[in-house]
Amino acid sequence: MKLEATRLPTFANGVLQVWKRSYLQFKRFWLMNFFWIVLEPLLLLLAIGYGLGSFISDMKGVAYVDFFFPALLCMTSMFVSFFESTYGNFAKMTYQRTYSTMILTSLEPKQIIVGEILWATCKGTFSAISVALIASFFGHLNSFLYIPAFLVIFLSSFVFATMGLLIMSMVKSFDGIIYPTSGLIVPMSLFCGTYFPLEQLPSVIKYFTYLLPLTHSVALVRGMTLTGINWWQFSLHLLFLIGLSSVLLRWTVDRITKKLIL
Amino acid sequence: MRKLIVEAKGLTKKFADQVVVKDVHLEVFQGECFGILGPNGAGKSTLMRMMYGSATTNEGELYVVGLNAKTNIREIKARIGVLPQDEALDREFTVRENLHLYGSYHGVDRDVAVHRTEDLLKLMRLEDLGDQFVNVLSSAMKRRLGMARAMINQPELLLLDEPTAGLDPQARFWVWDFLENVKTEMGTVILGTHFMEEAEKICDRIAIMDRGQVLAVGEPQALIRQHIGVQVVEFQISKHELQYYLARLNAQQFHYQVIGDSQINVHLESSETAQKVISIVQSQKATIRQPTLSDVFLRLAGHHLRDEPL
Repeated sequence: MKLEATRLPTFANGVLQVWKRSYLQFKRFWLMNFFWIVLEPLLLLLAIGYGLGSFISDMKGVAYVDFFFPALLCMTSMFVSFFESTYGNFAKMTYQRTYSTMILTSLEPKQIIVGEILWATCKGTFSAISVALIASFFGHLNSFLYIPAFLVIFLSSFVFATMGLLIMSMVKSFDGIIYPTSGLIVPMSLFCGTYFPLEQLPSVIKYFTYLLPLTHSVALVRGMTLTGINWWQFSLHLLFLIGLSSVLLRWTVDRITKKLIL
Repeated sequence: MRKLIVEAKGLTKKFADQVVVKDVHLEVFQGECFGILGPNGAGKSTLMRMMYGSATTNEGELYVVGLNAKTNIREIKARIGVLPQDEALDREFTVRENLHLYGSYHGVDRDVAVHRTEDLLKLMRLEDLGDQFVNVLSSAMKRRLGMARAMINQPELLLLDEPTAGLDPQARFWVWDFLENVKTEMGTVILGTHFMEEAEKICDRIAIMDRGQVLAVGEPQALIRQHIGVQVVEFQISKHELQYYLARLNAQQFHYQVIGDSQINVHLESSETAQKVISIVQSQKATIRQPTLSDVFLRLAGHHLRDEPL
């Protein structure tokens, strides 16, 4: 008797199918998404970068809006990927039981988690690219170094998407997402060298911000596209983001697998 | 020798200190509809979850479609279809899209999945609802879509956990009828249910479960004959008469069960003895009926009743 081997989809194909589900859902509500992932950051660019920024004559040799722009891209991708993986996934994990049903197929929890993280990462990167493209009409996006910079934004989005999914697996309800948002994400957007340089902070707080991923994303993107960055700083920032994402990913896979498989 | 589809040897599952499945031995053969029958909390769902990989096993061995559930769960999942207790359809998508998506998770080629979707929609009488979002479906339709979804990968084994729970009688009959056909056409069905009538009607063999343990396995009629007999005389009495009647029944060596304080079910091994029981009880409220799986279950599980002489 000939044994017929079961044809199993590859790990990557499973991940892609999970990604695609979220993409299809996004496509259906793209207009609503456009408002908060693209329009909102553009308004911030106008109000803070051009409006308030016009009163600041010199920001270490550059215009305030140019100083702010790389940070705005990092912040935007952080908010979008973090909210996508928290709010976007909580229902699927809990009362809609989307994941519990997905694992009844040949998908395994790890594929679902990686697929969802990659989706949130792409959405974060996509929003940063959209903002940058529109801002290019105002003369931003003036360097080819933005191409590698978007790869850094992708990595940084991956960190926040993973962080979001991990937090999603810990909270008991939608309201629970408010604590990490107000306690971690919003402070990061304010103090990680975004609106003003880190040097303005008291030194204790300044060193503390180096524990936060957004500091490293902003330093990388601003360094690459505006101020220049030397190789060892570049490597350290990058290593921090890669290290953090792999630790967070392992933790997330562990937690969610235990929730899905009793 | 028929092919073994599921084989469980000494299967045990614990949550913290609580043992929910205890030393279960089971064999399910190809082409049969196998029922796992028991009340809520008996461990049926957990046992089925272990078979489809949504629960791990603590002890024992489990083989599904010839593969080890501990090491080859992805292969197993690719070859079986599952309808979980809560079908949890994807409410962001339409009926048709639900089936396409599920096919994609299984790695079924898009064209094949589209083709199978149309076939399954017809089979489940959902062809007019293909483009509706799932939240407009009635619970019976949702259940049918859940079954269609479980069949998108053309499974050789179908695991259905309470497929008729919460359905009205007509919808329930439709499911039963459907399962009769599926069984002959497709292969093996494992059905978890707390519904005795369902198990008796459509299962070839059943395992009766309670408190995590399998109490008996066999064909429904054989189990009834073995544990109850051919007839049951059921009669109502008042509480203070109970001891009197039990003494009389014991004297004649009848098997019986006391339900609550005011009902006695006497199990008869031959239909000729029915009159003898009637003459003992001399009650207006005595009825003679066919025994059912409920009688077997009550006898084996002994819930709220004393089935031994006091």
